[in-house]
Amino acid sequence: MHKARTRSVRNRATLVGSSFAALIVIAAALAATASGHAAGKTISVAIVANPQMQDIASLTPSLFTKQTGINVKYTILDEGKLRAITTRDVGSGGKAFDVVMIGMYETPQFGAAGLLQDLTPQAKADKSYNYNDLIPAVRGGLSANGKLYASPFYAESSFLMYRKDVMAKNHVTVPARPTWAQVAAIARKVNTPSMAGICLRGKPGWGDLGASFTTVLNTFGGTWWSSTPDGKPAQAQIDQPQFKTALDFYSNLVQGAGEKDAANSSFNECLAQYQAGKVAMWYDATVAAGLLEAKDSPVKGKNGYALAPVVKTKASGWLWSWALAIPKSSPDPTDAWKYIAWATGPGYIKEAGTKTKGGWAAIPPGTRLSTYRIPQYKQAAAAFAPKTLAAMEAAPIDNPGTTKRPGLPGVQYVGIPQFQDVGNRCTQLFSSVIAGSMKDTDAIGQCQRIASDAIK
Amino acid sequence: MTAADATLTRSGTRKGSVRDPFSSPWRRRLPLLPALLFTIVVTQLPFLVSIYYSFTNLKDRTQSLIPEPTKFVGFDNYRAIFNDPFFRQAMWTSVKMTVFAVGLSLFFGTLFAVLLDRRFHGQGLVRTLLITPFLLMPVVAALIWKQQMFSSLFGILNRVLQFLGLNSVAFISDHPLASIVTVLVWQWTPFMMLIMLAGLQSQPSDILEAAAVDGATPFGIFRQLTLPHLRRYLELGALLGSIYIVQAFDAIDVMTGGGPGSTNVPYFVYQESLGGGFRYGSASAYAIVVVIFAIIIATFALRVLSGLLKDEDRV
Repeated sequence: MHKARTRSVRNRATLVGSSFAALIVIAAALAATASGHAAGKTISVAIVANPQMQDIASLTPSLFTKQTGINVKYTILDEGKLRAITTRDVGSGGKAFDVVMIGMYETPQFGAAGLLQDLTPQAKADKSYNYNDLIPAVRGGLSANGKLYASPFYAESSFLMYRKDVMAKNHVTVPARPTWAQVAAIARKVNTPSMAGICLRGKPGWGDLGASFTTVLNTFGGTWWSSTPDGKPAQAQIDQPQFKTALDFYSNLVQGAGEKDAANSSFNECLAQYQAGKVAMWYDATVAAGLLEAKDSPVKGKNGYALAPVVKTKASGWLWSWALAIPKSSPDPTDAWKYIAWATGPGYIKEAGTKTKGGWAAIPPGTRLSTYRIPQYKQAAAAFAPKTLAAMEAAPIDNPGTTKRPGLPGVQYVGIPQFQDVGNRCTQLFSSVIAGSMKDTDAIGQCQRIASDAIK
Repeated sequence: MTAADATLTRSGTRKGSVRDPFSSPWRRRLPLLPALLFTIVVTQLPFLVSIYYSFTNLKDRTQSLIPEPTKFVGFDNYRAIFNDPFFRQAMWTSVKMTVFAVGLSLFFGTLFAVLLDRRFHGQGLVRTLLITPFLLMPVVAALIWKQQMFSSLFGILNRVLQFLGLNSVAFISDHPLASIVTVLVWQWTPFMMLIMLAGLQSQPSDILEAAAVDGATPFGIFRQLTLPHLRRYLELGALLGSIYIVQAFDAIDVMTGGGPGSTNVPYFVYQESLGGGFRYGSASAYAIVVVIFAIIIATFALRVLSGLLKDEDRV
């Protein structure tokens, strides 16, 4: 009895022991295949949720993975979330992404701080990538100290888009180089309950409301900070009269003749409203024009384009690029470059022209000189391509306003790291002003404090 | 945690011999020690590190063009907190959000519990439906409300307003706090309802029958008998509800992404650190201050709770 029990206990122990060992072996095998997979064959990429990026995500398996055997795992996020996540990951040396999509604001800053891989040697060595084909202003904006830190996926300026048919019906002509006073008058004139006069971004975020508003602020003669002679931020300028004039102009225009629920609207929301015929004009990124003239767009062929409206400066359009970069901490930089060379190379632009549902007009624009020599693109984008190029050349990147700016060059942002947080928090206040739930003077007072504290 | 630790050591020295760590009480505790150690490592060490960070100007590496060394700044971060109007605003928002959300969900929870307490056809189905909001993930609940209910483009509420011939309202932009409180109330009402239902079902029915025989109106019975009986369940619901709702984050992040009127204290600390500010030093200081407040409130709340439990024993 006693003996038998001991044996059974021992047997049970052996059983437990061996099954435990088996489990470990299985787990180890699984882990090995998983990591083996990750090392050679899968890269993770974080991109922004705009239409052109969604196109490339859907074309990747057939055009990239099939040729190279590299799987691409996409994380598609809206602008604000993408910024928070990439900044956190790049800054902390995290290994979550092999490739991140960042903008012209972050690239030179992260590059200078040594957080990104220098892409220049690979870009120059890779014949099919054609480094010299990149539009110089864009390449310059994505470089720091002469080194290219991110490869542009698309680039843009900002301009005014309007419905020609609506303007004709109201007997209005939009000048090719309008002023903000003219645009405001037209917006109020064509504004009806079913169709707003103009769509302007009102959603909090320095890259959302902050971008549109800062171009208006620049041309009204205002700015966020004054600069010391050596380019450091000197004093917050939110409490200056020009700032209040610009903010009041912007919020009055949106309240009087702007889109519905402006405080939640940014690029994608305005795009949807414009395509649905709910707004007559739209001041936003030039890249939008390609989507308005796309094969599947309900407003195709109905649109006119004018340069970004001005007040005190000669030009006010922004300069921006969404670009792909490799963090220093990327686990797989070689495959990451292969992906970037494909996604931002001249080859993909041609593929996108025939393989996306938007067609030639909706390809990623503004990055390469060769794009503007493709016959099909010249034809499909005749309405806006020359104006896009003109707007990008006119973008006053080095001297956006009437006073010297601190930090790195930038139009719709200030090229210092503090701007991201200050811009985000202040645009929350300004968005409340636009929604009518906060007084302009309160918002300006609080924002002045945020901006002063940030540069202490 | 530290209190439990102390009890453990004290009883250990009393009962077992100090020299022999494998005497009987210690042998019993030994399997628990890894868990204790693990808890200390993952909860208390980070807290100590946070305290250290709160005395420095630590920032994310992306936040300076030229790498700056992290400096020891003494109490600067703490001094800044008490001069920061935005932090005060966030505290005030936290208070309003918690009071309104807890109060309203208690009110509706009690109402639904009273309705559910009587027998009717399809009771099980109704009860399940009423509990559902509590089972949804908070992010999903917030998204549903944001897109399907409040949106001025395709929201149901605005469709109804239009149908009635009224102007559409941008609920979230015009009334951020009220919108968030609505979602919180929707989510937490079932929780309160369950607590109240337990309270109602523990009420002896003979008293109610006696009152009815004496000619009391149903409302009179509810006000004079049921409500006093429910008092301690209301207190428990308010306490647990406050503990959870004061930490609300998901609804704010999804619906407004912060802003005046909707940034509460947890969201403020997030904005200061991982959410865009990347000032880990001062964010740590904010977190420490919040922990101190939380300990004060929790001590008070726990005293109320243990008072409630003692009450229970007496009955």
